[in-house]
Amino acid sequence: MLAFLLRTAWKKLWTLFFVSVISFAVVYLAPGQPSQIDPLNPRFTPQQLERYRKAFGLDQPLPVQYARFYKQLLTGELRSFKDNQPVLGKIVERTLNSLPLFLVGTILVWCYAFPFGIATAVKRNTGFDRCTTVLVFALISIPGFYLAYLTIIFVVDTFQVDVIGLRTFGREDVGWLYGAMDRTWHLVLPSLLGAAAGIAVLSRYVRSQMLEVMSADYVRTARSKGLDENRVLYHHALRNGLLPFVTMLGLLIPGLIGGSVIFETIFAWPGIGRLGYEAILSRDYPVVIALNFVAAVLTLIGTLLSDLLYMLVDPRIRL
Amino acid sequence: MASNSTQATSTSGASPSRIVWRFFLKNRVAVAGMLTVATFFVVALVGLPLTKPEHPTLDPREVRLPDKLKPPLSMPNRTALAPELLPRLGVYLFGTDELGRDVFARMLEGAFVSLAVGFVAVGIAVAIGLALGGMAGYYGSLTLGFGRYRLVTVDTLITGLIDVMLSFPSFFLILTVVAVLPPSIWNIMVVIGLTSWEGTARFVRAEILSLREQEFVQAATALGIPGPRVIMRHLLPNAVAPVLVSATLGIAGAILTESGLSFLGFGVPPPNATWGNILSDGKRYLFDAPWLTFIPGTAIFLLVLAFNLFGEGLREAFNPKLRR
Repeated sequence: MLAFLLRTAWKKLWTLFFVSVISFAVVYLAPGQPSQIDPLNPRFTPQQLERYRKAFGLDQPLPVQYARFYKQLLTGELRSFKDNQPVLGKIVERTLNSLPLFLVGTILVWCYAFPFGIATAVKRNTGFDRCTTVLVFALISIPGFYLAYLTIIFVVDTFQVDVIGLRTFGREDVGWLYGAMDRTWHLVLPSLLGAAAGIAVLSRYVRSQMLEVMSADYVRTARSKGLDENRVLYHHALRNGLLPFVTMLGLLIPGLIGGSVIFETIFAWPGIGRLGYEAILSRDYPVVIALNFVAAVLTLIGTLLSDLLYMLVDPRIRL
Repeated sequence: MASNSTQATSTSGASPSRIVWRFFLKNRVAVAGMLTVATFFVVALVGLPLTKPEHPTLDPREVRLPDKLKPPLSMPNRTALAPELLPRLGVYLFGTDELGRDVFARMLEGAFVSLAVGFVAVGIAVAIGLALGGMAGYYGSLTLGFGRYRLVTVDTLITGLIDVMLSFPSFFLILTVVAVLPPSIWNIMVVIGLTSWEGTARFVRAEILSLREQEFVQAATALGIPGPRVIMRHLLPNAVAPVLVSATLGIAGAILTESGLSFLGFGVPPPNATWGNILSDGKRYLFDAPWLTFIPGTAIFLLVLAFNLFGEGLREAFNPKLRR
């Protein structure tokens, strides 16, 4: 067990190293220097460019810059090109803004995907299954931003309410009860839209997993013992069918950063995805690199956690 | 039971691909997906000569300011336009955009671009996935290093690379790289391809690891057939089914990614029209000219849905467990 942990940690460290190199390299090795903030701006003279390159250490060799970058990032000294604020502070602040969206979305996904997926597996090859299959694929296939616009047009035209942003603009001093209700309402659309594709994908996994288990020998044995169908399905089949989803608990963590760029941009939600988009637009490379790196680190932690969880729940996996 | 036995007799003696094909054709939803994909193909291929920049029959770049933001099926303004500017069809089938350009012609031009992005990106991803997955599966136990020092095995190296690539949030990484590179349609195809090969590589590796222990491969090796030929002629053809499925689903994903990039302003640069950037230009007129959002959005949706249903049908047809 301990040997396994050490081995995994060692592997993850190597992965982490290459992740840090790649996040750095995609920005620094691409054509066009990071210092070319706005090459067309006539007021950006070569002298200024030189001073700027010196100030941010961009005139040094790449390995030195690489070491410097991660030293500053880990000690919290790394500052944004744009407003000179500490990068880590910005990331933490925006993550806290994204957190409610992420939590509500995740709860929606997990509450709807499982019953839905199990139902389609049990009623396989019926009209219900065919309709839901097409519906699920429609949700997977529709571009998120298109669905968001359709929803916005519908909701705004029908109910004449504000849907963009954290809260209704210009109503900051209305008392905490109204404020809380307003904020909750503004959570509804972005989290529902964010969850839609998630529900579709996860319910599809649940369906195929259930189908696999339902054709297993021990389920046939349970049926031939004369157990009633509900007990066979929910006591014998479901328990094993759910095992792989334990690993998904660990993989939830990186969802906090990835995937929210489009919805946060549409809904003007000052979260982590929008921070990334703004940083890319303004060529704020320290923030861009740090976001890619932090997201990858969260994924690594997530996969480590899911490996451990899987070992805990599945006695067949022992090392 | 009776239907089962007739099925068994009808499939006996047929080649495996015939059996798969027959099961696929029974799945009406998947066949509908395949036919839709084929229709879009024909539209894109017909649209290519009709909208080519030199002598377009339907000009997607013709600016007609008197006719801006006309709704679909509206007639052109005959008094304000010079006769050579009038649309060939005599009517704006899909309306016009904020510069009075014919949306129908722009959609036609964009059809080819969207399909091309999907196919080239997935082609790159599948090529990398097959090469790396094949190497990891067949030469996995070889060690690399200098002289006496054996550092890592090929398998460790390639699976490590897959782990590294899978750690990144893929859409944000693509966005970063596309934003850093100069805007061009080829860059977008290459970047999507370079960031989406991991799945293919993984299951090609797994497939080859299990295949290489089987007798026919051992026989091939015993006959002295060199490694690359064993991989190409004996191993990969047996691993082709899951690759085909994931490529079909991958095209759907690549088209969605391209439209997302266009939507955020990092897509194919103008004046080329793609469905993504027609939609992204139209979003400023969401309430005044909703057709600029509806038409390209619906087109992307239908094409991606068709690819997904087609791919899922293939997956079910290839999986003997699901044939009942």
